[in-house]
Amino acid sequence: MIEVLFFAELREKIDSGKIPMDAAGKSVKELKEMLVAKYELKTLDNVMIAVNEEYTTESTILADDDVVAFIPPVSGG
Amino acid sequence: MDINRYSRQILFEQINKSGQQRLSESTVLIVGIGALGTVISNQLVRAGVGKVRIVDRDVVEISNLQRQILFDEEDAEKSLPKAIAAKRKLERVNSMVEIEAIIGNASRDNIDELTEGVDVVLDGTDNFATRYLLNDICFKKNIPYSYGGVVSSRGMTAFFVPKQTPCLRCLSKEGSDGNQTCDTVGVISPVVDMVSSLQVTETLKYLTNRGEYLRNTLRSLDIWFNQQYDIKLNKPDLNCPTCQLNQYPALQKKAKEEEIVLCGRNTVQIHLLNHVSLEQLESKFSGIQSLKRTPFFLKVTIDEQISLTIFTDGRVLVQGTEDQVYARTVYDRYIGS
Repeated sequence: MIEVLFFAELREKIDSGKIPMDAAGKSVKELKEMLVAKYELKTLDNVMIAVNEEYTTESTILADDDVVAFIPPVSGG
Repeated sequence: MDINRYSRQILFEQINKSGQQRLSESTVLIVGIGALGTVISNQLVRAGVGKVRIVDRDVVEISNLQRQILFDEEDAEKSLPKAIAAKRKLERVNSMVEIEAIIGNASRDNIDELTEGVDVVLDGTDNFATRYLLNDICFKKNIPYSYGGVVSSRGMTAFFVPKQTPCLRCLSKEGSDGNQTCDTVGVISPVVDMVSSLQVTETLKYLTNRGEYLRNTLRSLDIWFNQQYDIKLNKPDLNCPTCQLNQYPALQKKAKEEEIVLCGRNTVQIHLLNHVSLEQLESKFSGIQSLKRTPFFLKVTIDEQISLTIFTDGRVLVQGTEDQVYARTVYDRYIGS
């Protein structure tokens, strides 16, 4: 199992800041597709993604106990 | 240097006299004097940074006062340009700091000049297009870039140092400008103060030669729902067009980029000309529309919904719409292009 963290409007849509997912062995890209389908999200393409506090690309393969964070960039000021 | 004025900061041993001396010899550029920019400039001017250059394209409105700490009701009543209102307040706070205020847009055309002689660039902007511009010029010219963004109860900040950390483009791809803005979901003042304080803290570390204590993370926080997350700035994206391939996309010429919708303002900015004569325009409009002329701009009220604010640098704010096509129509009708 891995843990997925959601921030900002993603946390609102999913109604949780943190969920466990059965995604060990899958790529970040596959995890994104699973989440988009499960929560009927428009896209996760415009979101920063980190695994274990290091930013990452879609090709990264997830391992047990990884923590993946999805963080929309903040543009106001 | 006025030792007494800075005594508490000098007592902080990480800064001490030598750090204070370095601050007094430093120059910073703050782009955008809104929520983030007013807090940033307030702290840096009080801290005794030698020279502070501020640039902003906007005017003060009553809805700014909830979070933009340098402005007051009189500034809003007079619709003062934010750069001018901020300069006046900052000079009263610390007359020893040289404040250079520029009314205008930071753009590809002037960003090289704006960053000339600057030790750190601090981000007080409200859109990602300008942030990529700051990121790209900073990495091209080897200047640290202190990024900050706020919306709702959330903020994000990082201190990017060329040749030492990745850049903003490594973490956030162009086109990823979120659909949430201060217009749609608002913003609360405490998160503004927190993010800008983090931007300033890293800047102080850098300017006082304490780079070993830089945080080196992109920090995200949500102070209402109690979330915080740090992404380490330890490896660049090897395909990054800015910090790896040295292409600096924001500095390259694009076909069309004149219309910008301003965050939370029901306003479209159009910038086609480099200079206009307010005097000529005033006579052109006199007798037709309701006019307000200040040394900085000419405001033309077209009807109950639409007004134009025209600045001497050629920028026109079409107020009362967010429809870029309609705004351009109004612009063409009254200013011509």
